[in-house]
Amino acid sequence: MSDARFLCLEKLTLSYGKNVAVPEMNLDIGKGELVALLGPSGCGKTTTMRAIAGLMEPSSGAIILDRVDITRTPANKRPVGLVFQSYALFPHLNVYENVAFGLKLMGIRGKKLDDKVQEGLRTVGLSKFATRKPAELSGGQQQRVSLARSMVMEPKVLLLDEPLSNLDARLRLEMRTELQRVQKESGVTMIFVTHDQVEALAMADRIIVMLDGHIEQIGTPEDIYNRPVSDFVADFVGFENVFALEGRKLKTPTGTVELSDTPPRDAKGLAWRPSMVTLGDGPFEGTIRGTSFAGGTREYLLDTPLGPIKAECDASLPAHEFGSVLKFDLPVTKAASLSRVGSL
Amino acid sequence: MTNKLFSPIILLLVLAFLIGPFLIIIAASLSAGETLAFPPQGLSLRWVLKVFEVESFRASFGISMFLAIGGTLAALILGIPASYALSRYKVPGAETIRTIVSSPIIVPGIIVGLALLRYFVVPFNFGILFALFLAHTALILPYAVRVVSASLNNLRSDIEEAAVLLGSSRIGAFFRVVMPNIRGGILAAFILGFVTSFNQVPVSLFLSGPGVRTLPIDMLAYMEITYDPSVAALSALLAFMSLGIVFLAERFLGFSRYV
Amino acid sequence: MFQNRAEAFALVLPAAIFAAVVFLAPVLILLSEGFRSGDSWTIQAYIDFFSQSLNQTVFLRTLKLAALVTAASAVIGYAAAFAIVNLPPKGKGRITGLVVLPLMISPVARTYAWLVILGRTGFVNKALVAVGLSDEPIRFLFTETAVFIGLLQLFLPLMIISLISALENMPRDAVPAARVLGANWLQVFTKVILPLTKEGLVIGGTLVFTGSMTAYITPAILGGSKVLMLETLLYQRVTVANDFVSASVIALILIVMAFAANLLLKRLATARNKR
Repeated sequence: MSDARFLCLEKLTLSYGKNVAVPEMNLDIGKGELVALLGPSGCGKTTTMRAIAGLMEPSSGAIILDRVDITRTPANKRPVGLVFQSYALFPHLNVYENVAFGLKLMGIRGKKLDDKVQEGLRTVGLSKFATRKPAELSGGQQQRVSLARSMVMEPKVLLLDEPLSNLDARLRLEMRTELQRVQKESGVTMIFVTHDQVEALAMADRIIVMLDGHIEQIGTPEDIYNRPVSDFVADFVGFENVFALEGRKLKTPTGTVELSDTPPRDAKGLAWRPSMVTLGDGPFEGTIRGTSFAGGTREYLLDTPLGPIKAECDASLPAHEFGSVLKFDLPVTKAASLSRVGSL
Repeated sequence: MTNKLFSPIILLLVLAFLIGPFLIIIAASLSAGETLAFPPQGLSLRWVLKVFEVESFRASFGISMFLAIGGTLAALILGIPASYALSRYKVPGAETIRTIVSSPIIVPGIIVGLALLRYFVVPFNFGILFALFLAHTALILPYAVRVVSASLNNLRSDIEEAAVLLGSSRIGAFFRVVMPNIRGGILAAFILGFVTSFNQVPVSLFLSGPGVRTLPIDMLAYMEITYDPSVAALSALLAFMSLGIVFLAERFLGFSRYV
Repeated sequence: MFQNRAEAFALVLPAAIFAAVVFLAPVLILLSEGFRSGDSWTIQAYIDFFSQSLNQTVFLRTLKLAALVTAASAVIGYAAAFAIVNLPPKGKGRITGLVVLPLMISPVARTYAWLVILGRTGFVNKALVAVGLSDEPIRFLFTETAVFIGLLQLFLPLMIISLISALENMPRDAVPAARVLGANWLQVFTKVILPLTKEGLVIGGTLVFTGSMTAYITPAILGGSKVLMLETLLYQRVTVANDFVSASVIALILIVMAFAANLLLKRLATARNKR
């Protein structure tokens, strides 16, 4: 049975001394969800995660986990696991002992302990490395030990801090699927913190985009990717041409501009990916100031009365020359309509 | 190139100057003659053996041992928690505290001994041995804090958080995951403290009383009375003891990493 | 970083209180005695101290010997450290070990050795007479030269290891680059090595200067009452005359000079750098 309010943050306020890092945050996370906390550094995502783990005491508000208020529960008594960005393996213990650490503290001994540790190691494919010390493992292997060490505790929520950031590109892809597999097989509620939108889009069931201590948008990867609600989220997921609206007109550095279509009634702004810009035809004109070949496509930077515009064409089409003047259009039908334009 | 010839000569001279006297002392202590001399007059172990017969050397050796071991342990008991707090907590006034704790390294030892004699031993009727113990502890404290802090700073602090999240208490986390990882640093601090205390003279100068003297002070006193090679023999023995300790520490710990 | 203040204080206070009570307080009271006369504060003791010619001699001698030992150890230290740094790694470790070794040996033992070497019937005198360079033994002991040699031997290792680590932190190509640009060895030293290793020189210099100035054993054994330095004078004032006021004055002079030396060396290093 699914529970949509398995982990609830209620008006959670987190501060460092007088600096409020996260003001009155409300958030519900369902049981068994794989959620990404996405945002730039300093947005409060790590702080939020540390508060859920109990490593930081909230100045007000509540954290409810599985209908139990754990706001004041000390970190060592919370059914929450955390995989640290640097893995935080105990250097003096070998892989087996690292995984057994928490279980022993729970009073588990003998065969039961061994079974659980072996199973944990098997899940992450490290049975052969049981007697190695952390220093003798690669980054990816350390990550797996850290994951196993948390998973054997059977936490209700597993938190991961930038789980892929210390891995090289190839391992990162491998670890993505690995994490998803472990999560699906165990059904644990998993929240991972990341600043990488690609990672969040690829892995998460649901993405929470944070900015300056508040939640900017919550949605499925498709929602976030196709229907960003604010200029910040739009820019973050690749809508590189973002404009505020003034009435029905586009606000630009040189004044307002009439569009070819009428924007949706409640839109406060519009955003286009480079691929959404029509090149070669339309009411606007721009000069090509930069081109770059990106394999399947060719990207153009245009200098226009609307400001700089990024556009993209199929690379098989003939290239436009540097300095040439082109007509283009920003089609309203393709644009993402934004309900908030904070910084424009 | 001149450098090719110049370097070995310089090194040879410098090492001869630094190590030579020590070799000469060993040779002199093996003399069979009555007075201190080099080259030795004949070879014998009589002065080396005599060292063990001198009553006051035995007593003062015991006292120096007690001070070196007890003082270092006390300094570590005070210093480890302080180092931990300074490296892991936001301590208000951390700089001031650091200065206070490390001040014994700045002030000449003779002054410390004199001050303790004048304001502790005399007015409060403190035992000399107790005053010596306090003085040596204070003297070693800066070394303990410095070496232990260095090894704490080399250890990531998130392992303590990881231990707590796996169910350990804060104190438990310290003993389960911090202590085992700074053991080398603590041992290095112990050896450094031991050697410093054992060889220490100025602090102990004023702190000696009837039957209570540290070994180096006792050696100084003995030298004023007699000119036989027993002090040379004792010096050589002590040097070998220090070297033995340092050698073992280096062998098993890589001691020099910590100092 | 943990935030809990009570915990932090509970951990750090025992050490801080211990050092403050056992060490800082008595030393400060001792220092204050030099400024007291009955109930009023005065610097009379300092005027008295410096008006006696013996004290002046001892003060100047202490400064002179400490400065000479520092200068000599800097010159020898650079030569030795440079030679050591350019050794192959294995030899470097061993020679560094040999240089550090004496630091672990009791200063009493190390100073005592010089009695055997420099004494009337010592090694050097025997050699001189045997070779015929001298008819009768020369008096080395209880001279400033003996104290200088003893102090240099005691503190040279500190300078060498400070300079070794400074030289090792110097960019590898700095010296070859200067040579390629046409600098001779003297210019390489003054324009490249010295500015790049000045921090090591300041650290080593402070250690050697302070160490020499506050050494007790060396002047006591090799200088005796003929070559008093501030520490031996302090000891004598207390044990012979029960004169705690002079002791307090000397104590403060020692501390002030240690800080002054450190500041001066730092100043010299930065001044060089500006040019």
